[in-house]
Amino acid sequence: MFGPRLEGRSGVTLVPPTLAHFRLHPAWETQPEVGRFWGPRFGELTQEHQEETFKKVGADQTQIQWTISYLEEPVGFTGIFDIDWVRRDGESGIFIGRADLFGRGIASEAVRLRTHFAWRELRLHRVHNWIAHANRGSRRANEKAGYRQMGLFRRSFFRSGEWYDEWLGEAYPHTFPDQR
Amino acid sequence: MALGGTIRGKTTTLRLPVEADLEIYNRWMADMRVRRAHRVWHEPAMPATWKERFKEVAKDQQNVLWSIDASDKLVGFAVGHVWRMGNGFDLNHFMIDPDEWRNGYGSDAALALHRYLFDYLDLRLATTELRADNAAALRIARKLGYEEYAHGHEVHYRDGAYVDELQLRMNKETWQERWSAEREYPPLAANATR
Repeated sequence: MFGPRLEGRSGVTLVPPTLAHFRLHPAWETQPEVGRFWGPRFGELTQEHQEETFKKVGADQTQIQWTISYLEEPVGFTGIFDIDWVRRDGESGIFIGRADLFGRGIASEAVRLRTHFAWRELRLHRVHNWIAHANRGSRRANEKAGYRQMGLFRRSFFRSGEWYDEWLGEAYPHTFPDQR
Repeated sequence: MALGGTIRGKTTTLRLPVEADLEIYNRWMADMRVRRAHRVWHEPAMPATWKERFKEVAKDQQNVLWSIDASDKLVGFAVGHVWRMGNGFDLNHFMIDPDEWRNGYGSDAALALHRYLFDYLDLRLATTELRADNAAALRIARKLGYEEYAHGHEVHYRDGAYVDELQLRMNKETWQERWSAEREYPPLAANATR
């Protein structure tokens, strides 16, 4: 399903995705500048597949997804996936598709909005994720919203002559920073 | 899901699953002893639903399902996910009939399956996730060579309370150190390629 509009700070808003937003994903995901910690940079990257994915995500009751908007422009996506409504647990993820906007705090604000929504509106018990250990920006964004390290998966993938570890985090309502 | 072929252990055999197994899978998924120890693979359902699930999973190339036999009787199943890049394996479900617990079938089938993963498929690593209070499964995993890399707190909910989850991995190097005598095939004969 798609998440509702969540107004944030500094021009960041989480908005319900549209098909036009989903059509941007392949171009974002295949740029080397944003893909260092992402997938293999190949796949079924057609517009038809994006339309199917858009419909599937919208109908799926075990995930909630948003487009990240910065100054009214779509710049990435975030969500909580594989939600188990009995355990009240889900796996979170975020992708900023514009390398020229890195370092502006967009991910931090998006993760804060997403996590706040998880506790205050979805009544989840726990959210967890995997982040490349060397992706300091993403890791810090999640830590600021209350994620704590629960493990480290060594030598997860190998790129440009180096092994990359992955950081495993988990967050709970009681680890969310006081927003007063 | 792909359907897995024959892997022989000493007392158990992982084999190609067939539709006739589904009724027993369904019974296990409805057994509270199973549900307290593991995540269910699928919720109990009517036979037609299981047949649909079986058709669906047979098509998937990255997930593999095996049935496990002992003494010509179905005693369990295993489901795993081969990584997209093909060098790792997540063992997502490994289930032995609760009426057959403590017969050593789990240890035997797990060793055979990991021999297949490391000695035959030549994978780099295997992972699994276990509930922190599942002592029998943890004992099997640790004996095989699994080590904990993450500890999730209050992950699973059953019997009115949360329980932690341990995430474990086993590397090919560990397999070679501990189990190098376990091989699917004997060494090739010296003149085999002449």
